[in-house]
Amino acid sequence: MSKIIASAAIRGGHACVRRAETALAECVDRYGWDKDVGFPSTAYALPVILALTGKRVERLGDLEEALGTARSWLPAEPTERLWLPYLGGALDAGAATLVAQEAIEALKPLRGIPSAFDYWLGPTADGILREQGIKLVDGRMPGFAACVGALPDDETAEQLARDLQERNLLVFMGSNAGGETMAAQLNRRGVEMNWETFLVPYGPDTSSIVHALGFACRAAFTFGGLKPGGIKETREILLYNQRRVFAFVLALGEVDDEKYATAAGAINFGFPVIADTDIPEILPSGICTYEHVVANVAHRDMPARAVEVRGVKIHTVDIPIPVRHGPAFEGERVRKEEVAIEFGGKHTRCFEYLASRPMDQVQDELIRVVGPEIGDVPETARLPLAIFVEVAGRKMQPEFESILERHIHSFLSEPMGVMHLGQRDTVWLRISKKARDAGFRIGHLGTVLLHKLRNDFPAIVDKVQVTLFTQSADVEALYPAAAAAYQSRDERMGALTDERVEVFYSCALCQSYAPNHVCIITPERLGLCGAYNWLDGKAAYEINPHGGNLPVRKGDSVDPVLGQWKGINDFIRNASNGSFERFSAYSMINDPMTSCGCFECIACILPGTGGIMIVDREYSGQTPVGMTFSSLAEMTGGGQQTPGFIGIGTLYALSRKFISADGGLSRLVWTTTRIKQRLGDKLRQRCEELGRPGFYDKVADETVCTELEPLIEYLAAVEHPALEMGEMV
Amino acid sequence: MSLELKPKKWAGALRQVTLGAGSRRPLTVGGGNGLPLHTFEAAFPHRPLLALEITDVDPVRWVESVREVWEGALGRPAEAARRGVEEFGADLLLVNLMGTHPDRGNRSPEQAAADIAAVLEAVRVPLIVKGPGAGQKQNQVLARVAENCGGEGLALHSATNEDYKTLAAVAVAYGHVLVGESPIDVNIAKQLNILLADANVDLNRVLIDPLTGGLGYGLEYTYSVMERIRLAALSGDGMLNCPLVCLVGEEAWKAKEARVPAGKEPLWGNQPERAIHWEVATSMALIEAGAEVVVLRHPESLARIRKQLDSWFDVTAGGATCR
Repeated sequence: MSKIIASAAIRGGHACVRRAETALAECVDRYGWDKDVGFPSTAYALPVILALTGKRVERLGDLEEALGTARSWLPAEPTERLWLPYLGGALDAGAATLVAQEAIEALKPLRGIPSAFDYWLGPTADGILREQGIKLVDGRMPGFAACVGALPDDETAEQLARDLQERNLLVFMGSNAGGETMAAQLNRRGVEMNWETFLVPYGPDTSSIVHALGFACRAAFTFGGLKPGGIKETREILLYNQRRVFAFVLALGEVDDEKYATAAGAINFGFPVIADTDIPEILPSGICTYEHVVANVAHRDMPARAVEVRGVKIHTVDIPIPVRHGPAFEGERVRKEEVAIEFGGKHTRCFEYLASRPMDQVQDELIRVVGPEIGDVPETARLPLAIFVEVAGRKMQPEFESILERHIHSFLSEPMGVMHLGQRDTVWLRISKKARDAGFRIGHLGTVLLHKLRNDFPAIVDKVQVTLFTQSADVEALYPAAAAAYQSRDERMGALTDERVEVFYSCALCQSYAPNHVCIITPERLGLCGAYNWLDGKAAYEINPHGGNLPVRKGDSVDPVLGQWKGINDFIRNASNGSFERFSAYSMINDPMTSCGCFECIACILPGTGGIMIVDREYSGQTPVGMTFSSLAEMTGGGQQTPGFIGIGTLYALSRKFISADGGLSRLVWTTTRIKQRLGDKLRQRCEELGRPGFYDKVADETVCTELEPLIEYLAAVEHPALEMGEMV
Repeated sequence: MSLELKPKKWAGALRQVTLGAGSRRPLTVGGGNGLPLHTFEAAFPHRPLLALEITDVDPVRWVESVREVWEGALGRPAEAARRGVEEFGADLLLVNLMGTHPDRGNRSPEQAAADIAAVLEAVRVPLIVKGPGAGQKQNQVLARVAENCGGEGLALHSATNEDYKTLAAVAVAYGHVLVGESPIDVNIAKQLNILLADANVDLNRVLIDPLTGGLGYGLEYTYSVMERIRLAALSGDGMLNCPLVCLVGEEAWKAKEARVPAGKEPLWGNQPERAIHWEVATSMALIEAGAEVVVLRHPESLARIRKQLDSWFDVTAGGATCR
């Protein structure tokens, strides 16, 4: 921690406690120790003192005790020669300052000093807390800003207040900068300040800002059910605020010792400080989620910077576009005669590219159309388009880029009158005349992406910037970067092997109807539904740690050929409710994985061939094993371990780990034409890799036969390798 | 040859949740340490409770044969409450604040709070208070009720995975029980409880509503999910061991089989009697799956189910133990 800040905070703490002691002595002289002291209309006495010391202050005598406790927290000011860390000392001084400030505020009425006058509102009654505090806790209000000091001029003050209001943030104001206050500035601009407008001026003294923290403490008492008590309870209250009350301090104007001390107090609650002046910064995280003190922020950037530093997530309820939108419009087609403008298809280059960037290189909410807009070109024009999305997030990882990018399709399918097909550089996008007439512009594609990405992925996306290029030169200029990204993602995915990771992901999303089933998703074996690969599992866990996907440590290898690990087996025993002891990742014979019922395909052994067949869900005909897909599904699904039968995602067939313990892809003797089509060249390529020339053409399908006898004859005729590999069981 | 029973011992047991506080005569559910009704191998400190549903406004869509028995009390919640408890013998009541729904009268949160206050005045049994459905209005209504009736230990119905924070906060702030509703999905039931615990809600103050259909309308899905929840609870899963509540009445009376008059389907027989059978059959299946609170519409259904429960459980001073 900055020694300058620590020294100032500790000095400020000493001064504050002294001031409170003097004020108390004055009141005791006049009224005696038994005089009642407290804020009006609250059941929480002096809430900050209650939270920090566990003691209810009701009389001046109690206050004496509280100030004694505060004094005991005050460390000596660091000397020139002291090089010890002083974060703890400064935080203690901050806590002592808050106690002293609350005492000063509570003593005001006894000393004839008004707390509420002009536009200043003073302490908050419990009734208002119940009405407004719950909004902080349940997320209707994303957080509060405690504004300390004043802006350089009235206009800037109003701009800042409006910017904060626009984000639904509750604004507390207190203290002054050289005698000027933000509330006075707003008052001169005719801005209404009260609890209805979410602009709450506490008082012109720095001590008045303690009411904001009192508000936070009372929210924790009331809605968090937390009880005051000893040090453990205090810690709970502070943690509750750190986790749930997204507040921050805006230090406006010169920062004196008392303000430093107050800021140190706020940091105890996990509330960071954003300053407009050049004060020393405290960047590493520790008490606060991210940085503690960030300085030199321009006024217009303050709300955005504060939201980012505090980790406030803002959810857009109504996406501001002029057409209706929602999953209901996802399958909608825009027919040729309806088209106002068209991109891609076979006519022009159209691609989408999502890249992650460092936090400071993305300007949140910046949406630009570079090139002609919809109104600049004749109807039914065909333009090239590059949808370039740049995102930043504290928890964003480059690995998540492809997952977010894949969602562009569903996001852009949701507005009524927009048709989006394909992905990456195979995008085909149309905007209908109706949508255009309603006011929909190319730029609104960016609006949709911005809000959907932030809403649906709040855990990993903090900032989104979208650029839509509609001129050929720009589109072509960006394309190589996009193409390189697609390729490197594919390569990275290809290089991701089971051996190279320590953690697999579980998927228990289907346990509601297959209670003992759980999927283990590895880099080389995707979920049997085909919808979740390892990266999806990783992202899903990051987004929702309480969801159906959990990381499972592999632990020691039990059998590298079968693909069994101690960590996985332990997890399976528990997650299957004791039904199974072991899972093999690479075998369909020994301890195969169970299936829920959502499998894209079923792989099963074909007795007499030494091989297996793979049949897909869409195939309704007979298979060489003598069962249709639906009969097979009954044997395979429901969370049972049926040796010789597994449910798989289609792409697993391409994996180098595809039943590798049982002989691998060379065992494949029969599949459906649909699977062959879907896997296409990639399947041919995998077959080449087996080192068995002509293997692909030896795999039969329903056009060859659908019964076992002719299949065996066929396999013999083409000399299928499975025949020599011997029976699997 | 004699059959030797080997009692199954489980690692866990259900939580005990007390409904009603303050001016209520409290009732406790849960606590069983075995599969539902496995009285030969497990202990059940409390028997399942039977609730009747009453409404704030006249439930015009209710079937005539159930409306008849509530004649004169429909849309008069205090009167309905008295009748439900004193005449019909309900253990507790569910007050359905259907009239607060924006499309069904849009009654204000203050009116809703006044309705609940009137019911609290009329009877001493615990209440389940059901809002108009997820969304802003539900939160406004239930938050106001929770605040105005602080300390009464109401069961607020219901918090969902997507929208639980407001109700979690008011349940904690004003001393109520919270019903967490999940769409026939054990994972979401668990996830919701984790979220509630994370929001500082004491899980000893939570009931799970697994959501059900009536007999013939998906009941079996709920049955399996309840079984699954119970097995997890007994295996020691602390996030799934809250007692279960099932809103049977509204589902059973939605079924075609409960509504269609005998005139239209002569082979189906007398409609009022058939409908009661439907409600009873749905309830009994769910009680066997582990429902600890069953909410009904027809007092005759309640009487019949009670008779069955009486044959299974002994009523003792401290609640109920197994016969």
